Amino acid sequence: MNHLDNAFLLVGFLEIAMVIFMQWEVYITNIIKTFSISSYLIALLFLIVGFINKENYILILAALTALTRGLIIPFYLRRILRKDKWRARETSPLVGISSSILISLLITVMGYLLYSLTLSNYINSNLGPIPITLMMQGMFLIISRSSTFTQLIGYLVMENAMYMFGYIFPELPFIVEAGIVLDLLGVVMISGAIIRLREDVIKNGSEEYTELKG
Amino acid sequence: MLFSLSILQLLYIALLAPLTIGIIRKLEEIVESKKGPSIFQEYFDLRKSFRKETLVPQAASPFFIAAPYVSFSLYLLLTLVLPIITAFPLTFGPVVDFVGGGLIFGAAATIKKIAAIDSRSNYAHLGTSRASTIGALSEPIILIIFIMFGVITNTNNPYVINNVLQTSTNWYLSLIHWFATFAFFMVLIVETGKLPIESHSLGELGMIDQAMEMEYSGKELAIYKWGGYMKHFLLMNVFMNVYAFPYYVPMQPNLQDIFIYMIINYLKIILLAVLFVIIQETFSKYRLFKIFDFVAVALVLAFLAALVFYTTGGNV
Repeated sequence: MNHLDNAFLLVGFLEIAMVIFMQWEVYITNIIKTFSISSYLIALLFLIVGFINKENYILILAALTALTRGLIIPFYLRRILRKDKWRARETSPLVGISSSILISLLITVMGYLLYSLTLSNYINSNLGPIPITLMMQGMFLIISRSSTFTQLIGYLVMENAMYMFGYIFPELPFIVEAGIVLDLLGVVMISGAIIRLREDVIKNGSEEYTELKG
Repeated sequence: MLFSLSILQLLYIALLAPLTIGIIRKLEEIVESKKGPSIFQEYFDLRKSFRKETLVPQAASPFFIAAPYVSFSLYLLLTLVLPIITAFPLTFGPVVDFVGGGLIFGAAATIKKIAAIDSRSNYAHLGTSRASTIGALSEPIILIIFIMFGVITNTNNPYVINNVLQTSTNWYLSLIHWFATFAFFMVLIVETGKLPIESHSLGELGMIDQAMEMEYSGKELAIYKWGGYMKHFLLMNVFMNVYAFPYYVPMQPNLQDIFIYMIINYLKIILLAVLFVIIQETFSKYRLFKIFDFVAVALVLAFLAALVFYTTGGNV
C-alpha cells in the first residue's frame, strides 16, 4: 500500500471507532463534538490527498468539509440546543446501548462481507469496505436512536462516508461532491427550524420536542 | 545466571507491588488536596494483618483457608514467565505461552471466586456474581488481543512480541497494535478494578472485588491482598513492557543493563500510575449495567484490530 492508502486506512478506521463512540455516548453535545472532530479528520485526509496529487478541486473539497461539517453545522446544531446543553441527552434509545455497539461491530463485518461478495470484482482496492461500513453505521445510528439530533448526526456520518467513497472512485465529478454540501446544509437548516418550531409549540415538554415523529 | 535473574524478578514483583499501590493511593490524595497516608502504608497494613488472628466462617470448608495461598502462588508463578525486567526468556520462560499465562490468571480468579462462594456470605456471593459476569465478557477480549498479537508476530510468546515491537517501528506504529493496546488498556481497567468500573475509595463501594474478600481476616487476608497487589502490578508491567512501551527492555543478559532497566521499568509503572490517578480523579463510577457498554467498546476495538489486519493483508 502507498502512503495515501495508509492515511485513508488510518482515517477510515478512526471514523469507524468514532461512530462507535457516538453509539456509546448519550450526551448530545459530546456526539456533536465527536462528529466535528471526525469531519476535520476527513478534511485533513483530503488536504493531504490534494497536496500529494496536486489537484486543486480536492483542496476546495477539503476546505468545504472543514467549513461546513467541521464548523458551521456543529455550531448550528449546538445553538439549537439552546438551554441546558449539558443535560440534553438520548433518553429513550430504541436499541440498548451495549447491544447497539455490538450491532455496529456486526455491521462492520457485514460491510466487509458485502464488499468482498459484490464490489470487489469491479474496484481494485481493498479499502472499499471502509466507506460502505461507515454508511451502514450511519444508517444504524439513525434507526437506533430516537433523538433528532443523533439522527441528524447519523445522516451526516453517511455523507462523510460518501466523501470517503470519492477516494475509492477518483473520477467522481466535483459538482456531485460539492452538491452534497449544499444538500446537507439544506437538510440541517430545515430540521433545525422544525425542531425550533416544535419547541415553541410544546412549551411544557422537556424531552418531547427533540423527537420528530412522522 | 538465568535462575538468579528469575529470583531477582520474583523479588522485584513481590516486594514492589504494595509500593505501587501505595504510590497510586498517595497521588490520588494529593490530587484531592489532602495529605494522604505514606506510600509505604500498604506494607504496614500487610504487617498488621499478618499478626492478627484468623477467623473462619463456621460453614466454610478447608478450601476457604487454602485459596489465598494457592492464588498467591499462581501469581508468583506468573512473575517467573513474563517479560518484566528482561526481554529474553528466563529459566521458567518456556513453561507457558501467553494464552497459558491468561489461563493462570483465570485459574487464580476462579479459585478466589470459589472461595468467596465457600464463605457463605451474601456480600461475597454478590461480588462473585458481579465479577463473574464482567469476567465472562472481558476474558474473550483478552483472548482476541492475544490472538491479534500472535498474528502480528507469528507466535504467542510474550518475549517474541516484545522483541518484534521493540525492533520494528512499522509494527509499533501500526493501527493493529494501537487498537489492540487500547482494548487491553480498557480491559486492564476492568481487571484491576479502577474507575469508571469500580471504586475503592471510602466514599464509594464497588462491591465487586472488595466484596469477595469480605470474610477473610488475619494472615489469609494479608496473603489475599498481597496477591491482589501482585496481579495489579503484573498486569501493569505486561501492559507497559509488552504492549504500550516495549522499549529499553534489555535483550542481552547483562547485569548492569538489567539493574538500570529495573529503575526505568519502575518509572514506566509510575507513569501508568499517574494515568490511572488522572482517570480515577476525573471519572465518576458507572452504574453496574453501564459497565457492559464499556466492555462492549473494548471488544469492538479488539475486533477492529483484526479487521485492520484483514484490510492490509498484514503488510504494514
